[in-house]
Amino acid sequence: MAARRATQEADVSRARRLELPVVGRRPAGRDFVWLVLDAPPDWRSLPGQFVNVLCESDAHEARASEGRVLDEADGWPEATGLELGGRRAFGRRPYSIARVERSGRQVRLHLLVQVKGPGSRFLGSRPIGSAVDLVGPLGTHFTAPADDRLCVLVSGGCGLAPIFGLAEGLAEAGRRVVNLFGAATLEAMPLDFSEPPRPTGPSAGCCAGAPGLEETASAKEFAFRGATTFLATDDGSAGFRGPVTAALETYLDGPGRGEPAALYGCGPKAMLKRLAQIAAERGLACEISLERHMGCGIGVCLSCVARRRDPGDPRGWTYRLTCREGPVMDAHEILWDDA
Amino acid sequence: MSDAKADLAVTVGKIRMRNPIATASGCSGYGEELAAFYDPGLLGAIVTKSITLEPRDGHPPPRLVETRAGMLNAIGLANVGLEAFLAEKLPALARYDVPVIVNVAGATRDEYVRVARALDAAEGVAGIELNVSCPNVKEGGIEFGVDPKTLGGLVEAVRHEVSRATLIVKLSPNVTDIAVVARAAVDAGADALSLINTLRGLAIDPWTGRPRLSNVTGGLSGPAIKPVALWMVRRVWQEVASKRGVAIMGLGGVQFVEDVIEFLRAGATAVAVGTANFVNPETGRTLAEGLGEALRRLGCARALDLVGRLEVT
Repeated sequence: MAARRATQEADVSRARRLELPVVGRRPAGRDFVWLVLDAPPDWRSLPGQFVNVLCESDAHEARASEGRVLDEADGWPEATGLELGGRRAFGRRPYSIARVERSGRQVRLHLLVQVKGPGSRFLGSRPIGSAVDLVGPLGTHFTAPADDRLCVLVSGGCGLAPIFGLAEGLAEAGRRVVNLFGAATLEAMPLDFSEPPRPTGPSAGCCAGAPGLEETASAKEFAFRGATTFLATDDGSAGFRGPVTAALETYLDGPGRGEPAALYGCGPKAMLKRLAQIAAERGLACEISLERHMGCGIGVCLSCVARRRDPGDPRGWTYRLTCREGPVMDAHEILWDDA
Repeated sequence: MSDAKADLAVTVGKIRMRNPIATASGCSGYGEELAAFYDPGLLGAIVTKSITLEPRDGHPPPRLVETRAGMLNAIGLANVGLEAFLAEKLPALARYDVPVIVNVAGATRDEYVRVARALDAAEGVAGIELNVSCPNVKEGGIEFGVDPKTLGGLVEAVRHEVSRATLIVKLSPNVTDIAVVARAAVDAGADALSLINTLRGLAIDPWTGRPRLSNVTGGLSGPAIKPVALWMVRRVWQEVASKRGVAIMGLGGVQFVEDVIEFLRAGATAVAVGTANFVNPETGRTLAEGLGEALRRLGCARALDLVGRLEVT
């Protein structure tokens, strides 16, 4: 029986609303942008936590939303909050904190933005010097295993974001980390390669007993000490050909055979569901970060529910808030058919 | 105009509010969530999520989707139920120096009556807001809210049980003439009215053909509905509230200080902030702090002086 994660409930009282300046931005892959924000020196967050980012702004509305009455010369603002007919985003979007970089009193938050809709287009196009309005830190965080077992991290697409910070945090803490990252194709990876990764193919395996699996050391993002990274692509354009969960099984049956391990994951639902199955089949602990549409991010609107096992309930499950009792949860607790 | 601070205090029924800013039902939790961002005591009142006799799970997800200039939700009246509310949530709310208005929903008249009776007897409940307008669940009271006769019967029955708390009836915009239901509510003994609840709406994913909410339809809120809300507040104020001396709590797209002024001018004595809390959790404080300055610029000594002042020449 895999060790169960103790249920966490996030402490909203630690969250603040902040306007953080963009100090760095770097497009990566076909449709990702890494955004670097300057955070206050007392910023405290743990891998897996998120920020709820306002993806709507213009100068006029921003001033009105601050409650300042405009100068007489400006006239009264219309302040309807939105331009009619525009495909503008209106509310906030939850983003995992991908990385917290500290240097003296300087603190930088890294967000990974996948540009796909009006909100992410707005956020991904913020220029250096502009301010990003966010509420955070919010939500639960990943927990390290109690012993020195191997930490195997599995992510897909923009699910890389929380896993990135986790990999770095675990590696810095001296844990042994294996990081498997999957995407549809090489161009869909939000990674910057010092040299293009090679497709490995079934026969090129350098890991004994792990066909198709080859360590990828060339992604600059993973250049920190202590993590071994494998890539997987659906089309085989980089690394293992196939789903990242198949790469995981290959790893567990090969180099990781017989090793006590803890699994961590973030990515599309189908990937997480399979990850949870693999963890259950092998009796491994597994924490995942679940993505959900959220209204408020602080436990008020009750929209981000997921069905979780609850032995105390006659049906065996209850709806739980992903923003307060997640996004990081025990994978074994989630009823995946509904998730 | 002197530099004296404008008087922001207003009264809704028996509830004395330090300013006209409340949080709307379902958009402010039970106080503690907002307390992370500001002291709820800065507000005029807090209105809780709908409470029902028994706990409710709510609808399966997705429960909420953003739409142009607004938000469509079908939460399904998820709540802890009366017993847990009285045992856990209400005492927690008492920490803040702010009047608490508890929103009540039910499937039957008896359910409303039983919940209202218990709340009226509970310490720390300044007001009871009857949700007769949830568009998302069969048991959400919408059938009580659209037929004046049925509504009158419900309000009368609840009125009989509520002597201490202010009885507020929250009206649905999904009717032909909101003044007719407003009149029925006041005739039956409502101390105050709040309007509007959400407008029933539908959002569709054009490529899959599926509705974006599990409940198919939902309630539309946010800036998109503000002009509708303003007009309905105006209509109810003219036809009912001003004649009967009943206060209106106006809501629907309140986000900026200017919105508050517009609602007061339309005829609201107070406003409630809903969806805007999700855009900016500090909205309530921002409005409470900014209103004085706005009144000063209008040359208005008291917030109450603005109520109903639409300058039609």
